Amino acid sequence: MKRKVISAILCASMLTGMLAGCGGGSGSSSAAPEASGAGEASEAPASTGGEASDAGSETGGSAAEATEDFSGQELSILVSAGWMDNRYDETIARFEETYNVTVDLQTIPADQYSDLLQSKLTTDSCADIFWIQSNPFAIESVIVDPEKYCIDFTGAEWAAKMPEARLSSCEYNDKLYGLQIWHNSPEYVMVYNKTMFDELSLSVPKTYAELLTVCEKLAAEGITPWFMPGADGWQHQLAFFQIGGVYEQTKPGLYEGLNNNTETFADNEKMLEVLGQFKELSDKGYFGEDWIGTDSTNMSNEFGDRNCAMAMANSSFIKQIQEDTGTSDEFGLFLIPLGDNDTFPTNPAGPTMFGYNGTEHPELVKTFFNFVCETQSLQEILDNSPAYTNVHMNDDAVEQHWLPEEEAFMSTIDESKMGTSVLQTGTKYTNDYWGDFGADMIAYCQGTMEANDVLKNMDANRAEAAGVVGDPAWQ
Amino acid sequence: MNKKKVYPYWFLLVPLVLYALFFLLPSLLGIFYSFTDWNSRTVDDLHFVGLKNYIEIFASDKDYLSGIGHTLMFTIVSNIVKLIPALFLAVMLQEGLRGKNIYRTLLYLPSILPFVIIGIVFRSVLNYNNGLLNSVLEFLQLGFLKQKWLSDLGVVWKSIVGVDAWRGIGYVMTIFIAGLGAIPKTYYEAAQIDGANFWQRLRHITLPMLSGSIMINLVFGITYGLKVFDIIYVLTNGGPGHATEVMTTYSYQMYANGQYGMSVAFNTILLIITAVVGVFIVRTMSKKEVQQ
Repeated sequence: MKRKVISAILCASMLTGMLAGCGGGSGSSSAAPEASGAGEASEAPASTGGEASDAGSETGGSAAEATEDFSGQELSILVSAGWMDNRYDETIARFEETYNVTVDLQTIPADQYSDLLQSKLTTDSCADIFWIQSNPFAIESVIVDPEKYCIDFTGAEWAAKMPEARLSSCEYNDKLYGLQIWHNSPEYVMVYNKTMFDELSLSVPKTYAELLTVCEKLAAEGITPWFMPGADGWQHQLAFFQIGGVYEQTKPGLYEGLNNNTETFADNEKMLEVLGQFKELSDKGYFGEDWIGTDSTNMSNEFGDRNCAMAMANSSFIKQIQEDTGTSDEFGLFLIPLGDNDTFPTNPAGPTMFGYNGTEHPELVKTFFNFVCETQSLQEILDNSPAYTNVHMNDDAVEQHWLPEEEAFMSTIDESKMGTSVLQTGTKYTNDYWGDFGADMIAYCQGTMEANDVLKNMDANRAEAAGVVGDPAWQ
Repeated sequence: MNKKKVYPYWFLLVPLVLYALFFLLPSLLGIFYSFTDWNSRTVDDLHFVGLKNYIEIFASDKDYLSGIGHTLMFTIVSNIVKLIPALFLAVMLQEGLRGKNIYRTLLYLPSILPFVIIGIVFRSVLNYNNGLLNSVLEFLQLGFLKQKWLSDLGVVWKSIVGVDAWRGIGYVMTIFIAGLGAIPKTYYEAAQIDGANFWQRLRHITLPMLSGSIMINLVFGITYGLKVFDIIYVLTNGGPGHATEVMTTYSYQMYANGQYGMSVAFNTILLIITAVVGVFIVRTMSKKEVQQ
């Protein structure tokens, strides 16, 4: 009997606990406004001056009115690790203070983010603001139905601040959905040890033939000419895709043809030539003795120890080498010379934020987008991003921090060579098969695949992706 | 009569329902989906496509068949490499070896390590440029034995099988030790009196009496080999190129690309192979047991 009584009491307490747990959500959210002091809210707009009132006008009133409107609300942001980091902390803190709101930043590990976002969108439980790695085709392929899931920002003031190239990653069917605040530093060009080049009387190679000569001389000195971290699985493909401009230059209209399914990767002579050159460098050992089994963990040390002379990297890598190794060597940048490439790897892709259409605070979301586009916010974002030297927005008031190496490099490139995007983001469905293409490239270098089969596989994969989407060009 | 029944038959109902719900039903659903165009875009709008997914697997230019071949090869080789040494280790450790319990523990320890840790450790150990193995070989003046353990096409499978054996031998050995413990000592004593040597005792006493343990290890080993994923994913991720792709890595890639129908078609093929091989082994070994 005693046991029954104890069991009944335990069951009752469990039930009470469960009910309390279920009811807790509404209680805690309603408690939030009370906890925020009204006094802070009234002070905040004055501290941000005219900029805050700009933001307020977008929402139909002054910042002070907006503060009153938003007071106590919570803005949730769903983002993958690495896309916001600490660079938004200062701006978010100021936003919270200005509007007397709370920002709930939900940072998800990168490898889980995509799946989580998809499930959140399909179950109508997404955060007020979510991010994707966008490119001109990503809205359609990642978000799938932007009209359903995204707030339409068409006509927003901040649109004018976004450069034309980046707008293409934020628009779909002539409607503006995303905001991309990213940098425009040279991405995955050749970083080289300038001091070493000078010591060995080597000049920067502009063609593949010149590259071969440089590699030959470096290899003769016992130096790995081009550090290639093949074991990472995502880096070596860059040698092929970052020079998309040269493919388009050789065959004008190629990108359009690839997007309309009237052109193929297979049998493209320039692409075959580049793959052949890549294999030749691999066969000659210019990527190192075991580039397929080497990852990038030790890359900066290899530069610091003068074991290698060149690598594909971002311009900020120069700073990393110097900080990691304390080397006094000077470094420089040049274009990847495979296929005699002379085009700049323009890339409109980048982490992009979107307003969730199902949000309970659409006006607060719009205000946040306005807020982060203010000059002060852009400056904060840049200043808090040690890895980036500039913010790519149309705002002359922002003080950029270009590296001298970047400026020297950019000055050598004709503007007409910057017009074409890199291949992976300039053509549909290509980026989705990055890893597969990389594996095929290695198989080709090891002699188990033909170069044209590598390209054919990419065509087959793109056709599969187009079939999944129901792309009419592939019907 | 009824008193002999310790548990009534309806006790089976709960595990049967759970088994049907969480194993049979998903398997059957998987088979059903393998005949559809299920993908990340058609979750709510499936179409029956017949054998299209299977034809794609067997007739594609992408050489998915090599994945099936690799899976079967790994299953056979990894079992040979684990079972035979594990048997001899078990026999050795069953004898009066001093400190045998310490050896048993040491050999079993790798089995409890997670695959992720094994992957991280062995990727580092097998690194060509600064890995422990090549450094030791160089230190011992055996530099000519240095290999690109995880990137040379001729060596990579040997490395995977080696690491897998390192991890799995202790587990197989433990099952053998349990089996050996059940063999009466008197058989060996009688055989020794008759003048039987080690190999004769092994052939005529140990192996026949150990058939139960061998069967368990074979069934476990073969199903593990056919389903192999973790050890390959953490060591090579199917590379270099596609040299170590197996059925599960292809299935995983397809799922990641949103081609769910193709992915479950691969899994269905795996299910059929595993079921056929499993039933065959169990029947064969059961017949042998009856004959004995």
